Amino acid sequence: MQKPILLIGILALIVFGLSIVRIYISNQVATSGVELGQIQQQIDAYKMQNMLLSEDLYTKSSLTNIAQEASEEGFVEQKTDFVLNGQAPVAYKQ
Amino acid sequence: MTWRYRFVFLGLVCLFLLVVARLFYWQVVKAQELSLLGQQQYGTTTALVPERGKIETSDGFPLAANRISYLVFANPKEITNKDAVATVLASTLQLDIASVSANLALDRFWVPIASGVDIKTKQKLEQMNLPGIGFDNQYQRFYPEASMAAQLLGFVGKDSAGDDKGYFGLEGFYDRLLRGKEGLAVEVNDAFGRPILAEMSQSSGETDGANLILSIDRSIQFLVEQKLKDGVEQYGAASGMVGIMDPKTGAILAMAAYPNFDPRDYQDYSENLYRNPFISDLYEPGSTFKPLVMSAAMDAKLVTPDTKCNICVGPVSVGGYQLETWDNKYFPNTNMVDVIQHSDNTGMVFVAQKLGVDGMINYLGKFGIGDYTGIDLQGEVSSALKPKNEWYAVDLSTTGFGQGISVTPIELLDATAVIANGGVRMEPHVVAAVQDADGNTTQIQPKILDTPINADTAKVMTEIMVNAVDKGEASWARLKGYRIAGKTGTASIPVSGHYDPNQTIASFVGFAPADNPKFAILVILNRPTASIYGADTAAPIFFDITKSLLGYYGIPPEGN
Repeated sequence: MQKPILLIGILALIVFGLSIVRIYISNQVATSGVELGQIQQQIDAYKMQNMLLSEDLYTKSSLTNIAQEASEEGFVEQKTDFVLNGQAPVAYKQ
Repeated sequence: MTWRYRFVFLGLVCLFLLVVARLFYWQVVKAQELSLLGQQQYGTTTALVPERGKIETSDGFPLAANRISYLVFANPKEITNKDAVATVLASTLQLDIASVSANLALDRFWVPIASGVDIKTKQKLEQMNLPGIGFDNQYQRFYPEASMAAQLLGFVGKDSAGDDKGYFGLEGFYDRLLRGKEGLAVEVNDAFGRPILAEMSQSSGETDGANLILSIDRSIQFLVEQKLKDGVEQYGAASGMVGIMDPKTGAILAMAAYPNFDPRDYQDYSENLYRNPFISDLYEPGSTFKPLVMSAAMDAKLVTPDTKCNICVGPVSVGGYQLETWDNKYFPNTNMVDVIQHSDNTGMVFVAQKLGVDGMINYLGKFGIGDYTGIDLQGEVSSALKPKNEWYAVDLSTTGFGQGISVTPIELLDATAVIANGGVRMEPHVVAAVQDADGNTTQIQPKILDTPINADTAKVMTEIMVNAVDKGEASWARLKGYRIAGKTGTASIPVSGHYDPNQTIASFVGFAPADNPKFAILVILNRPTASIYGADTAAPIFFDITKSLLGYYGIPPEGN
């Protein structure tokens, strides 16, 4: 008859102990929501910066923009191609 | 005593019933409203808007990306000096003051003021610290290359519920993949509005849209659009289009139409420009169709390159119609190589008659004529071939030289690419891979649709087309040192039951290098005025593009 009482006692202690731990952790964690909110805000700010920088990068590196700037700088399209071939055999020239 | 006892008891019962009734009112009748009020006190629910997938060219550069913008909203109940706030909002957001004032006068907690507001304007408004004014994040389509490949991309508009929806082109075809899935975020706050880390705080369901990686080569697309625009202006055409395809895989390398539109401000352009004419416009292809009919007849062993045309002495009468050559020149006993070289209509009548209606329908079907190509773009059309019993003798003859039959440019390009690809027809496709929100990439494999002709026939037909380029009417524009297969086209335009005598659709189709094709190109000019002939207008554009592409791919000339 003593064994069940001991077992129940141990279980009750565990339940009590875990409840205390839970209360402690909940108290500790509950206030970290503010920090979490700040981290989320930072993430959002970085995301936005990243997006704005990407937008700027894409605009500046677009072929449309490069062609326009090249034209303004005075570059023109080369109309003739130069092709380097191996020298033809002498027999061909005779 | 009894009546007093009963009176008190009745009074208590009444009071109890009153309490029950009140509880019923709060807990049942007003339950939903109170629940919402409670939720507003301890937490906020926010819709998570997914970012629409990007559309990137083969080098990973986005043709369509997203930029962050803002929806400016107001809570009129928090605004005391509505006139002053309306004036400031109207001037900062460049809105009509009357509409802003009307919105602020509404008896609501939330009214939208303006959407698509850029970050600078938002920051300006934030600094003013106006009461009752808030901002919601939005994504807006952003096109770094402006109007490049506009008809290929399509655009993003709104559906009947006011949500983003893709229309036309890739935006329309892949709308469900691109749009992603909206989610919800719940944040629990304390009495001071500070977030609490609680079990209820969670976000769920949101998935960003998938990115599309195209087979389109940005450099080629840019080059083609410039050359097409120059060509349309130089030859005084009403419009023009170019498609370039890798014949071995069906991958579309470039697809351009001019005039086009700017997808950012699509509403400022005519709706006619939204369609991609390369897949949505039917036209009679004219002589560019001849290689298909000729290769069909050769594949069926009904003619050989040396077969002599015994009806090519003059105009041919078929079913009461007189069929002539384009330049009224006739070559008696001409062979099949010369028929293509001279673009001889009477020679093609001879070939078509040899092929017969059954053979013609069978081979054209295998080439994909009269059917959808299956290209992954919204808006593809097709004109089915007539049933056999509706073919008159003249229909068979005119089909031989590409009149009296309607095709889309993509159908013709895909069919011509069969000759370049050793007789195998590939499904044309624009998207090479799909990348989901987690970065997993799924490659889209090339798909074989049919084998209309055998490899030997394709080889012979290629030689005939090379001969047509070297000695045909467009030989003045050809590139020396390269073997290029091609065919000109000058198609009459059917108008109200007859053909327009003054206007044509000029075109050129071909591929290069002929022995190991890297690309097949179709150039079409609609109603050019400088010259009505494809050899004078579309051909120079074709060879100009081909020259640039050969240089781009680093393919040297074969001879000296």
